[in-house]
Amino acid sequence: MEGLLFNVNNGYIEGIVRGYRNSLLTTPAYNNLTQCETIDDLKLQLGPAYGDFLASLPPNPSTSALASKTTDKLISEFRYVRANATGALAQFMDYVTYGYMIDNVALLITGTLHERDTRELLERCHPLGWFETMPVLCVATNVEELYNSVLIETPLAPYFKGSLSHQDLDELNIEIVRNTLYKNYLEDFYKFVNTHSEMAGTPTAEVMSNILEFEADRRAINITLNSFGTELTKADRNKLYPTFGKLYPEGTLMLSRADDVEGVRLAVDGVHDYKTFFDAVSLGGSGGPGNMGGGSTDGKSLEDMFYQKEMEISKDAFTRQFTYAIVYAWVKLREQEIRNITWIAECIAQNQKDRIGNFISVF
Amino acid sequence: MSGAADREAVFPTRQSLGIMKAKLKGAETGHSLLKRKSEALTKRFREITRRIDEAKRKMGRVMQIAAFSLAEVSYAVGGDIGYQVQESAKSARFRIRTKQDNVSGVLLPAFESFLTEGNNDFGLTGLGKGGQQVQRCRETYARAVEALVELASLQTAFVILDEVIKVVNRRVNAIEHVIIPRTENTIKYINSELDELDREEFYRLKKVANKKQRDNAAADAEMKAKREAAGNNNTAAGADDSGPADILAAEDDDDVIF
Repeated sequence: MEGLLFNVNNGYIEGIVRGYRNSLLTTPAYNNLTQCETIDDLKLQLGPAYGDFLASLPPNPSTSALASKTTDKLISEFRYVRANATGALAQFMDYVTYGYMIDNVALLITGTLHERDTRELLERCHPLGWFETMPVLCVATNVEELYNSVLIETPLAPYFKGSLSHQDLDELNIEIVRNTLYKNYLEDFYKFVNTHSEMAGTPTAEVMSNILEFEADRRAINITLNSFGTELTKADRNKLYPTFGKLYPEGTLMLSRADDVEGVRLAVDGVHDYKTFFDAVSLGGSGGPGNMGGGSTDGKSLEDMFYQKEMEISKDAFTRQFTYAIVYAWVKLREQEIRNITWIAECIAQNQKDRIGNFISVF
Repeated sequence: MSGAADREAVFPTRQSLGIMKAKLKGAETGHSLLKRKSEALTKRFREITRRIDEAKRKMGRVMQIAAFSLAEVSYAVGGDIGYQVQESAKSARFRIRTKQDNVSGVLLPAFESFLTEGNNDFGLTGLGKGGQQVQRCRETYARAVEALVELASLQTAFVILDEVIKVVNRRVNAIEHVIIPRTENTIKYINSELDELDREEFYRLKKVANKKQRDNAAADAEMKAKREAAGNNNTAAGADDSGPADILAAEDDDDVIF
């Protein structure tokens, strides 16, 4: 059924995105990149993929400049796709940007809390998370004003409503605010893809559910691991877990009770993928999970494996046709590519070649 | 040392000679003390130079690791966390206190770093992802700052010691090449002046003695002539009293002045 009418509205977009996907760097291309001696070489090697965007960089650019230029390409492509999208796809793409908006809003809230000039923060915001009313956020001078008159106008308002009051913004750690928003966002996104009339029961719902469930689980596990040894209580922690995903509800309940890495391992035991991650990490065993590579060069951390898994899921999304999920998958793949390029550039710039192979390439 | 020019303006007296001798002795003692101080400082200075070298190499390594761990953070978090970290830091976790080190009378400030416990302002940064990297990066940077503090305290000591050694060496040289020769010159000058005075005095005495002798001889001759004349007159009167009478007659002899 979905194949019948999908291309009427979305065929062009799908074609474009698949084209973009083909221009992603492949493993041989990455191998070439790792052989580079200087950033200039790297720039040259990136020429075919990023030519126009890197052209304006000065010789031997900084890695952050490189990263921002490569992000620029993603942004301009995303904007092009967004401009051509209609109907449900447009809405879907807006949902994709909400994640970045949360980061931007968190940044602005931090600025307002500390009474900084938030205007200069606008430049630091992620362009994908840009929304029209964002500069208005800078008008607010205190948190209450920000909450009552401004945040309500943003697309994120539903995520604030009901779970955060303006006192919370003041008192809670900004990270908790951010993660609460993100939890609400993930749940809303999940609901959106599964209930929207054009998406429910289509491959989009299927693939996106898979991706979002993974994302939810990853966040739950990460929050648990990262909260050990901080003032975050177990009850508060429990509030940050999204209420869906493969781990929900038994796994998240156990996660909320976990006191150490071992507890997390027990909690995720029911899900095969995560169990293997934990087993591999404990076998590699240098410095515990989350410790990217630690001392050994090929030891993968949990974080790495999650990224790897995310990339594989994203890659698999392209095996399905007539789905919006490829847009999401493409954004994620491109983001990982930017991270990879930045990583390789850092390794080259800092002359730490032994860890240069620590990027994730799925093509 | 052109003799007269380089000496202190003193009167060449025995008293100032004594003062000068005491001064020379003091200068020599001071010289040897300062020399020893300068040697002790130089030893310490060399040690500090060596440790600065070590610390700088260590800092190079540590900073490299720290910069790399920051790269790891940006890879894991996938964004800029700088602003957030900056804003959530409320009070310093890494602090230093200074204490003073005494090296042969020179006070060298030494910085000592310590961590205030239970101060984890951005413990929740990267809660969603990359939190561990953030914490690890923080630890690496804490180590880097530690190395920097060590280096800073060494560098401060280096600068202060350098200054002090310069001053001490200048003093040592001043004593060795100016004060001691000058005092010696002064002593020499006083001695020579005193000798000169002695010689003058001696010469004068000799002159006086000569004159005295001459006067005496003249007086003797006169006396003799007188006596002969009187003898001639008194040969008849009494030749026997001439002896004792003669001695008594010599009563108004001139005082002998030496």
